[in-house]
Amino acid sequence: MRHGKITPYLFILPTIIGVFVFRLGPTAVAAYASFTRWNVRTPPEFLALGNYIELINNETFWLVFRNTLLFTAIFVPGVMIISLLMAMMVNQKLPGIAFFRGLYFLPYITAMVAVAMVWRWIFATRFGVLNYVLTNFFMVADPPAWLADKTWALPSLAIVAIWKQVGFQMLIFLAGLQGIPATLYEAAAIDGASKTKQFFNITLPLLSPITFFIFIITVIDAFKTFEVTFAMTGGGPNNASTTLAFYIYQNAFTFGRMGYASALAMFLMLIVGAATFISFRLKDRLVDYAL
Amino acid sequence: MTTNYSTSSNTTFLNKVQSMINLRLLRSSMAYVFLIVFAFTTIFPFLWMISTTLKSRGAIFSLPPTLIPDLLFQEGMWDAYVEVWTQHNFLRYTLNSFFVAGAAAVGQLVTASMAGFAFARMKFRGSGFFFALLLSTTIIPVEVVIIPEFLLMARLNWLDTYLPLIVPSFLAASFGTFMLREFFATVPEALVEAAVLDGATTFQIYKDIFLPISIPAMTTLFLIAFINNWNELLRPVLYISTPELRTVTIGITTFQNEFGAQWNLLLAAAVISVLPLIIIYIFAQRYVVEGIATTGLK
Repeated sequence: MRHGKITPYLFILPTIIGVFVFRLGPTAVAAYASFTRWNVRTPPEFLALGNYIELINNETFWLVFRNTLLFTAIFVPGVMIISLLMAMMVNQKLPGIAFFRGLYFLPYITAMVAVAMVWRWIFATRFGVLNYVLTNFFMVADPPAWLADKTWALPSLAIVAIWKQVGFQMLIFLAGLQGIPATLYEAAAIDGASKTKQFFNITLPLLSPITFFIFIITVIDAFKTFEVTFAMTGGGPNNASTTLAFYIYQNAFTFGRMGYASALAMFLMLIVGAATFISFRLKDRLVDYAL
Repeated sequence: MTTNYSTSSNTTFLNKVQSMINLRLLRSSMAYVFLIVFAFTTIFPFLWMISTTLKSRGAIFSLPPTLIPDLLFQEGMWDAYVEVWTQHNFLRYTLNSFFVAGAAAVGQLVTASMAGFAFARMKFRGSGFFFALLLSTTIIPVEVVIIPEFLLMARLNWLDTYLPLIVPSFLAASFGTFMLREFFATVPEALVEAAVLDGATTFQIYKDIFLPISIPAMTTLFLIAFINNWNELLRPVLYISTPELRTVTIGITTFQNEFGAQWNLLLAAAVISVLPLIIIYIFAQRYVVEGIATTGLK
């Protein structure tokens, strides 16, 4: 197509302005701010590595980091196993299967703050339906206070986050499953391989590139988790459920420590960036594999 | 003898068919059992949410809890909704959310389709560089940019307006650009050549050929952007302080702080904020799922 020399630049101009003003610019400012003491009202004061040194020596930071790792350790396997199961279930040719597929995906599109409200009600200590079921049907004498309990708050958040997230990973797994040639299963069935054998010797190996890709994006999701913490516990009790992204928000906008928060944000970006880099390298292999 | 033989073979044949059908039935009914168990887990919080909103205050805290609400088809069934809607201003918040999400989504259509068109159909210096820049910056977590962005909005005097909720979203529409670029790349060159012969300008080709032809892709992008912006939590919480300007997500947050344990009201607010998206999802599921599968939310 023939066009004027500056025409394409005019077409991409709004988007490029957006990238510079709302992504690159702020990132550069945050990188700089991470080396300063900055409390909004006073101008930033250069601290060199001060914030990073504080971060390493700060007990709360390590608690938050441990929380984030624990959340990730529950969230990632939870999401991956359940979404794979769901994908295999909705990959069957059965009447009404599209209905189930659509239903499983539903939580993913709803607002976390809204569904978090009903989960808070389900988890409520005295009148919550979960504890009612536990005490009356499973004979648990003394069920935990879930969101108000320092051991259970974080796993509870992870459960809600898993419930809301699995629909997305299910879709990607489903695409992967549908890419496996049916002839492979037919050949295996003729050779007398059981369904279990087919799963471990055909499905899992052929799905492995997609599985790794899903693993990476799920880890990134876990590290960036914010809304579920914000809406359900606010990091409590006593920081027991504070995760990294929420800790950044708290430092920046509750405590007004912009510099320290920026250093934390840089740390988060490092982790997410590394994970993304790996997944991009992998995506190339994934495409080759599909061919 | 022969008749005997034939009947016995008939019965074995029928038995075989019968047992095959039984096995099939067993298999598929087992499949449905699992499907329904997962479906119930998925849907239960929504059912519980709706059920609680249709209960009277006493029934909410009664044990054992019941799924069938006591006000169902009784007088005052919709009381919680009426109260939330009228006395707690959720009608206003819903309209605000529609406005913000709609404006951001329309904005994304404009910027993403323009940039996507240039990246798909024009050759220019730096096109690869700018495209890579656009995609690679999407990995920057919002926690990194939000602090400087907040200070920028304060400088611009945009605090407590909708501009911070709309402008960043539609100016940096990376996924939308990516998606439309892919779509625009599939438009046959012959169409473009015919238009050029007719003397169409570049802008006319964009507006009169590419935009109309890509209505399905644009619909997808619109819905994804709308859902994203409707559900946005962090920016409304940071930027909006005037009660009248609240969106539903921040409406719920503040409501929770003020009326902690009034579950019927709180959950009525939650239903109100979730319902529009569920309706959109039911009617445009194909577009929503397809769009999210290719681009992901956020």
